[in-house]
Amino acid sequence: MEFVPSGAYSFKLEAFEGPLDLLFHLLEKNKINLYDIPIAQLTDQYMEYLFAMQELDLELASEFLVMAATLLHIKSRMLLPDKKLPTEGEEMDPREELVLRLIEYKKYKQAAVVFAAREREWSKLYFKLPELFQWEKRIIIEELSPIKLAITYNEVLKRNIAKMDKTVQKGIETIIATEKVTLRSKIRQVVRTLMEKAYFKFSELFSVKTQSRAEVVTGFMAVLELAKVRKVKLKQDGIYKEITVSRVEGSMNNGE
Amino acid sequence: MENELTYKIDRENPSEIEAAIEVLLFAAGDPVPLEQLAAVLEIEKQKLLPFLRNMGATSMRGIVLRELNGCYTLSTKPEYEEYIRTLLEPHSKQGLSNAAFETLSIIAYNSPSTRAKVEEIRGVNSDSAINRLVEKGLIKEAGRMEVPGRPVLFEPTEEFLKSFGFTSLDDLPELQEE
Repeated sequence: MEFVPSGAYSFKLEAFEGPLDLLFHLLEKNKINLYDIPIAQLTDQYMEYLFAMQELDLELASEFLVMAATLLHIKSRMLLPDKKLPTEGEEMDPREELVLRLIEYKKYKQAAVVFAAREREWSKLYFKLPELFQWEKRIIIEELSPIKLAITYNEVLKRNIAKMDKTVQKGIETIIATEKVTLRSKIRQVVRTLMEKAYFKFSELFSVKTQSRAEVVTGFMAVLELAKVRKVKLKQDGIYKEITVSRVEGSMNNGE
Repeated sequence: MENELTYKIDRENPSEIEAAIEVLLFAAGDPVPLEQLAAVLEIEKQKLLPFLRNMGATSMRGIVLRELNGCYTLSTKPEYEEYIRTLLEPHSKQGLSNAAFETLSIIAYNSPSTRAKVEEIRGVNSDSAINRLVEKGLIKEAGRMEVPGRPVLFEPTEEFLKSFGFTSLDDLPELQEE
């Protein structure tokens, strides 16, 4: 931290890592004992910095303002001792919490200096990157008779059949259930799409991934149903060509 | 592991053991655990350690052995760095900011730590410092803390140990108390 002559601001203000860092700078500059901080003086200097930053139109991190409030609060508590507390005994110093935070921060601030020095030293070391191995995996060849192979093959077949059976027995109902698409939900989807845009292509109603026959059929029935009640207009240039679904003006206002 | 090797090292010959260690670490590049070295060479861990120590930083060789978290790897000796620089003119690495060093030391000494812990100690938002450290591979996510909000935890990486010359997190210098 460089020396700052009194009365002159160091305008390298961004260099402060935060309010604690700024406080440290002030403590060091004034050679203040951490355990007996003249809080009024420190607060004044801290505020001076904040004002200087504001004058320079530097964006103040909110943390700086919180610290300003904390300092002012401590200062006021120093001036007005709490009457409720007994006069004798362990009266908590209003500065204590701040001092503890500063001490805690200082430990890591010092450690950071050590780390920076170590990094400089150790960046002089070079390590080698791992080799990119491209050799083939070793294949272990076992002696096998044709009979053993045939038996294994049969076993695999049997296992597959068993697996299929299991899926058929317990899985089939759930497969159908998840594919259930209702006409009502498809109609809703068409209406919702048409509320956002004037027309869309029929194929856009389904994503490539989810597309199932049941879904396409239901979707088709949905647009037919809507066309019947004159909510949509359908246009197709020829057989197997793209179907354009467009809204009938004024029909979408009263919902579904 | 069944080692069907056509060439087997003489396990009574120290220089051959060192040669084999060197070969393995050179090819691996990444740090290799002691257990794996012992298994591949078929030498007990305890017997291997003196050789590893012998190949360490005090060795007279330019390539020396480093321990990282119970793993071993090779590196150049720092004294010769300027020669490397003269030869290769590497781009100078973009250094870390003070904020990043502070953040890194907080996470290293309180591993694993949350963003909130770092902010609490530094008294200032530290997101950008944390992001930078993650980007540089010096810290990484280490799960989540089981408290409301499940904040992400961060811990130093092996790269951190490598870049700062620590063999493990236990190797960090003690924090100076007032």
